[in-house]
Amino acid sequence: MNRHEKSLLQSASSALKYLVLVGGAFLMVFPFVWMMIASLMTAGEIQMRPPVWLPAAPQFSNYSELARSIPIARLYFNSLFTSGIIVLGVLLSSSLAGFAFAKYRFPGRELLFYLILATMMIPFFVTLIPVFFIVRQLGWIDTYQGLVVPGLTSAYGIFLMRQFMVTVPDELIDAARIDGASEPMIYWRIVLPLVKPALATLGTFTFIGAWNNFLWPLLVLNSRELFTLPLGINSLRSLYADNTNLLMAGTAVAVLPMLLLFVFLQRYFIKGIALTGLKG
Amino acid sequence: MSSPAIKSSWWMPDIPKSTVLRRRMLWAYAFVAAPIVALLVFLAGPILFSGWVSLHRWDMLSPVGDMPWRGLQNYVFLLTRDSIFIKALGNTFLFAIGGVGANTVLGLGFALLLNSRIRGRTVWRVLYFMPVITAPLALAVMFAFIFDRNYGVVNSVITAMGLPRQPFLSGPNQALMTLVFIAIYQYVGYYIVIFLAGLQGIPQDYYDAAQVDGAGNWQEFRFITLPLLRPVMLFVVVTNTIGALQVFDLVFATTGGAPANSSMTVVLHMYNTAFKFSRMGRASAMAFILFAIIMLITVMQVRLLRDRTYQD
Repeated sequence: MNRHEKSLLQSASSALKYLVLVGGAFLMVFPFVWMMIASLMTAGEIQMRPPVWLPAAPQFSNYSELARSIPIARLYFNSLFTSGIIVLGVLLSSSLAGFAFAKYRFPGRELLFYLILATMMIPFFVTLIPVFFIVRQLGWIDTYQGLVVPGLTSAYGIFLMRQFMVTVPDELIDAARIDGASEPMIYWRIVLPLVKPALATLGTFTFIGAWNNFLWPLLVLNSRELFTLPLGINSLRSLYADNTNLLMAGTAVAVLPMLLLFVFLQRYFIKGIALTGLKG
Repeated sequence: MSSPAIKSSWWMPDIPKSTVLRRRMLWAYAFVAAPIVALLVFLAGPILFSGWVSLHRWDMLSPVGDMPWRGLQNYVFLLTRDSIFIKALGNTFLFAIGGVGANTVLGLGFALLLNSRIRGRTVWRVLYFMPVITAPLALAVMFAFIFDRNYGVVNSVITAMGLPRQPFLSGPNQALMTLVFIAIYQYVGYYIVIFLAGLQGIPQDYYDAAQVDGAGNWQEFRFITLPLLRPVMLFVVVTNTIGALQVFDLVFATTGGAPANSSMTVVLHMYNTAFKFSRMGRASAMAFILFAIIMLITVMQVRLLRDRTYQD
């Protein structure tokens, strides 16, 4: 094989690579694009035979009609508010407990840490019925508390924070004590800033999980004023059973802002995934 | 704080004598108190309670103290007479096997592509990752439309090519496979990123040395990449299996288990049993059976795939 043939073979294989990547990326993006195209069609165009690939004129009015039939701002507020509180709760509880497990000795520490490790592996569906029962006994059905409180702690979060806090040098903490820092001050001023990347990762995961959660809100919430975005989409399924264009508009409104946020923050997202994927 | 004042046994160190250390210990209790109580109330307690309920008949309305004892009857009923449960178990296995197999192969394949000399790695990664962060429920709604028997775009393309229209989600033989496809679509990007991080963690030296020895691409893959990727492979297979066996949102919002339970999964059947038919005992037993299966499979996968290099 001469040099010319070799370079030809190389560029052929590199062309094939790009072809596969483009094909895959097309499959990945197409559903989102099709959702947006369909959201701009008329109800008639969606059911046309032979099929229509693009709306004759984009029906932006679909979105205003959607805004009239569901409280989009309210859904966003509910999702943001509840996910935000869950993230704060998980970050605070995980880092506090993780700090204690990593940097203190106290009777029962090992025992409690085994408890954490054991509960980490419990899938949500095993505790679903009892937790629902507890929340109902507390009178929290159809409230924000009912949605949020069971999610404020995470065994996995405690484990993750402990793993990162163990690496904080003891000398740093002892030096702060000599300078007269109290234990909470050490937690807040010394240790937390040092584990910021882990906090960011845990926060991101918790946020996505809470934001996308469907089954738990479905069980706990009944009134539309409290619905989160996934519940909103779910209610559109029956409301717009015959208006797929409006259903797609609703889905687009729920999905696209999160995607946009992801595109801007993708570097941190992906770094965090690799971090937990390989450490966890 | 390893201080000589504290001597610890594995489960209960002695209580320190000095007041300073004792105060520190109290702070530690203050830090763990709330999280531990929350875990006991919302995780550890519920799993015990769930086990107890699974041995009873309970509709959640009658008082907890009055639940009629059923012993193992719920379990026996599920495994011998509940044909939907058995069907759902089979479906859930197929769903997991299809999804995990495809995601592992595709995830690794695309990660290898992205790890080679390629332009725009970040852009590709972002595009493949988009479905991962999208709500499963939203994707389910999108795909229910895309695969619709009458108005779906996939059928538009198929019929435009002169092929017969397919039922996809509404076909007893196609519903489950269509769900597998959607699950692959949703999660493959996640596994690409995980595999890519694993690939980037393999030192270049190994490949350089292999090239000196005249190894080809396949040999490099077979004898360097694959063995060193074993821990990542284990993580991918285990987490993907655990996740797939618990699928709910996707099925709930597309087929609801139809047609004729051909796409019914265990967690959806459990949800129906508990919250539609108020059979909490039976649903709890279902949860425990699935939990046991998940643990068993996880242990098997760990034994099969763990790195044996340092153990022999």
